[in-house]
Amino acid sequence: MSAVRTERYVEESRRGIADPVLRRALSGLQERFGRGTAEAYRRLPEGPGLRQTAHAIREKAIANLDLLLERLAARIRANGGEVFFAATGEEAVSYCAGIARRRGVKLAVKGKSMVTEEIGLNSVLAAQGVEVVETDLGEYIIQLAGESPSHIIAPAIHKTRNEVADLFARKLGIPYTTDPPRLTQAARRALREKFLAADMGISGVNLACAETGHISTVSNEGNIRMATTLPPVHVAFMGLERIVARLDEYEIILRLLCRGASVQDIGTYVSLIGGPRRPGESDGPEEFHLVVVDNGRSRLLADPRFREMLCCIRCAACLNVCPVYGRIGGHAYGFAYSGPVGAVVTPLLTGVQRGRDLCRGETLCGACKDACSMDIDLPRMLLELRAILAAGDATWGVKPEGGLERNVWRIWAGLVSHPGLYERLLRAGAVLQGLLPRGVAGWIRRLPPPLSGWTQSRDFPPLAKAPFRSRWARRRREVGRG
Amino acid sequence: MTVKKSVTLFVPCLVDAFRPEAAEAVVTVFERLGIAVEYPPGQTCCGQPAFNAGYREEARRAARHFLRLFADCETIVAPSGSCVAMVRHHVPTLFEHEPRWRELARRTAARTFEFTEYLVDVLGAEDLGASFAARVTYHDSCHLLRGLRVQEQPRRLLRRVKGLEFVEMKNADCCCGFGGAFSVKYPDISSALVADKVAWIQQSGAEAVVGGDLGCLLNIEGALRRKELPLRVLHIAQVLAGGCPPAGGPGP
Amino acid sequence: MADERKERFFLDSLRRALGPPPQASRPMEDLFPRKPSAEDQRLLGAVSGRSEREREELLRRLRAAAAPLHLQIEAVVDLAAARATVLRLVAEKSPEWGGEKQLVAWSHKLIESLDLAEPLARQGIPLWMTAPIDPGLAPEAAAEERARQRARIAASFIGITTADFCLAETATVVLRSRPGEPRSVALLPSIHIALVRRGQILADLKELFALLRWDERYRGAGVSNCLSLISGPSKTADIEATMVHGAHGPREMFLLILPD
Repeated sequence: MSAVRTERYVEESRRGIADPVLRRALSGLQERFGRGTAEAYRRLPEGPGLRQTAHAIREKAIANLDLLLERLAARIRANGGEVFFAATGEEAVSYCAGIARRRGVKLAVKGKSMVTEEIGLNSVLAAQGVEVVETDLGEYIIQLAGESPSHIIAPAIHKTRNEVADLFARKLGIPYTTDPPRLTQAARRALREKFLAADMGISGVNLACAETGHISTVSNEGNIRMATTLPPVHVAFMGLERIVARLDEYEIILRLLCRGASVQDIGTYVSLIGGPRRPGESDGPEEFHLVVVDNGRSRLLADPRFREMLCCIRCAACLNVCPVYGRIGGHAYGFAYSGPVGAVVTPLLTGVQRGRDLCRGETLCGACKDACSMDIDLPRMLLELRAILAAGDATWGVKPEGGLERNVWRIWAGLVSHPGLYERLLRAGAVLQGLLPRGVAGWIRRLPPPLSGWTQSRDFPPLAKAPFRSRWARRRREVGRG
Repeated sequence: MTVKKSVTLFVPCLVDAFRPEAAEAVVTVFERLGIAVEYPPGQTCCGQPAFNAGYREEARRAARHFLRLFADCETIVAPSGSCVAMVRHHVPTLFEHEPRWRELARRTAARTFEFTEYLVDVLGAEDLGASFAARVTYHDSCHLLRGLRVQEQPRRLLRRVKGLEFVEMKNADCCCGFGGAFSVKYPDISSALVADKVAWIQQSGAEAVVGGDLGCLLNIEGALRRKELPLRVLHIAQVLAGGCPPAGGPGP
Repeated sequence: MADERKERFFLDSLRRALGPPPQASRPMEDLFPRKPSAEDQRLLGAVSGRSEREREELLRRLRAAAAPLHLQIEAVVDLAAARATVLRLVAEKSPEWGGEKQLVAWSHKLIESLDLAEPLARQGIPLWMTAPIDPGLAPEAAAEERARQRARIAASFIGITTADFCLAETATVVLRSRPGEPRSVALLPSIHIALVRRGQILADLKELFALLRWDERYRGAGVSNCLSLISGPSKTADIEATMVHGAHGPREMFLLILPD
């Protein structure tokens, strides 16, 4: 498992908010992709309702996962490939490390893969002397910079061209240039050598299809096609949920994936891979391995509240509309997955208690649900997670919340179900607020803790001298008299 | 002879406590339309704050109180998108395992409407004879927009107000950063969101910003007041009641 | 053995997590149908019954979809025109990585019928034709042959392939891997030229997948061990969202469409 830093959400989000470059980049990204994706859904020949169809396809696949995975594995094996089922990230990593040892792998080229970020593959391979090169341009940039991705599809969104220019001048020894085509060309040249020399290609899996027994990868750059064609060994990693039953269903999900991820009708390179090269073929890997990773996913499967999350195909459309992600950036989420998908899936995979700020630090605005290519109800699951945090849950190892917060809500519940008491408190509040410092038009400048967060940047409204309930009573009396 | 229509008003806690004028404006608008307004006493809260914070048992207690109070009402109207979204979508799920409450919750959900939704979709009323001389922009509250799919209704109502110049702000549909307890617990994120919202409102050139959910409006107004900006922040009912003859005056 | 135990454990915990319903009641025919659905049959019918007018329309849609992707479409009248187009590109373009101009092409009837070798030889430009690896070769000899082919492909600035199909809606060429038709010819050279006949143009992915699933001519191989869908030249927007063509794969792509 890669490092988890979910408990640092608040301080990391502060850092993201304070970074004007990040803010500009994210707002540009959200304006282009956020609106574009909604428009792309509307333009679908089947209409935006295709997302509901896709949701049903995914739900059916999830409900039959065992059958689908067995079929996939049988097909791939019949095609000469190997399939390994890894219950944990450690098992998945050590299987790949074993192949690397057996084959004497010195250099591995990698296509962008979220699940390998999740299970921390690179560091383990590096520790046994394998040079692992990320080949997606964005991933390559952040690998050179020694950072982690901040967006699922656009991992280097937080880097400016000037930063890339510095980085490439230092690390690739090219003359300083801030011109994106020339920077891209420099990476192209450097990575081409790596592709041609690599002993192993590593990829993720966007979606597998059980009927035909293939996995598939999607990229615009062609790096994944390079990594799965040129090296003698291809190891593909997939989360156990990334599968549909049939090719016609695969087609629907693929189209939505490309629209959700990057407002495209189709990615430039879509590869459907069912095994190693055949006898007589001059390229393609001689060994093909598929590693199916559980790593906590079967716990989501077992919980009806969260099973829906397994419909997710990590298109990242939710990141491109989330107002919170748009301000704090991906690093704040403290794990491989950021944005709304991260806020739900990261606590479930890495610990609900320690990820509590991810579940609570969202506004429940619902934009993610509308943007989701699979029509997943992310806000519903955020609410479920909050309920778990409040009431505790043995399955997820969460103790009920104690102390002040719980008591505040208990008292609140008592008040709102006793209108007489509630009204008296309102009156008392209207009087007591006179003690607080005021700003313009009687608005309150500073509230005491635990409400002081509000007045950090805003004034707080004063309670009306007479609430509606008393105004109504007065009004009725007047009407009665008149 | 026509049957006199009537609605039961649900005044959410924030409106009651912080902006009673908005609820009074709702009453004015309905009376002007010749619709009788009932207001059962003892109203408090629909349970949304506790529900959003994860305190479901506490939310259920509030919801039970709400359901008891409104059990026999034919049509319930509230000047709040998020409270109606709570009643319509979430309260029934709170009682998944309590069939009698669940039934009552479902029945109530089907009878509860947001104010602008009720005016436009149910009554078919768009021109309310209101006047309001100002350049106005509209903020889409998240739960009103995405929870109830109310987007065009308030705009149609505003466009018919005499003297009102309607301008769209950039990203009207983007969250203002209120989010209930979120605004207090994650003040940095919430402040960043409302700062952008305020900037977009200013860029629109509007003199007043209007919305349908008091949480958002108080958040936006709080940021405006802190910056001592002179923009007005109003619940849409306050605009729609603008220039109306006083209640009890000549009807349409 | 250990791996098999792990697999059983993995699938067992999956089944436990899934809970009921029991296996027997699950809709196998829906998961993996044995007969084409009505929709599949409609798609197959649309492909087989396509009129000349509809083909014209597909070509128009293909052009419209290709333009924003920088996929350059040339509808040529005959083989001679196709040859002339290739030779023009050879003359106009220069090798990205320096060195002499060299080309690589699949050994495929359609490409061979262009007779490129002779005019290129006159200009002193090598044209490498790929070949299947002889299954009778010893492993070391096969490895050497593969390395030789790869070196030639990597050294070529233009790679010429055919395609199994072409999809109008998304401007996609469809390549199924086969001996003698290496995938890297459409990948390592800076310029990829693909040749198709007009009759190979399908409307969209739906039609392609219906053929792969149900048409006896394609069904056996299914998606084969590798099916590539390529829609234009390689591109990236990873540096400040600026679109750049030629990230890793070809930076230019041409699709030559021949009459049937």
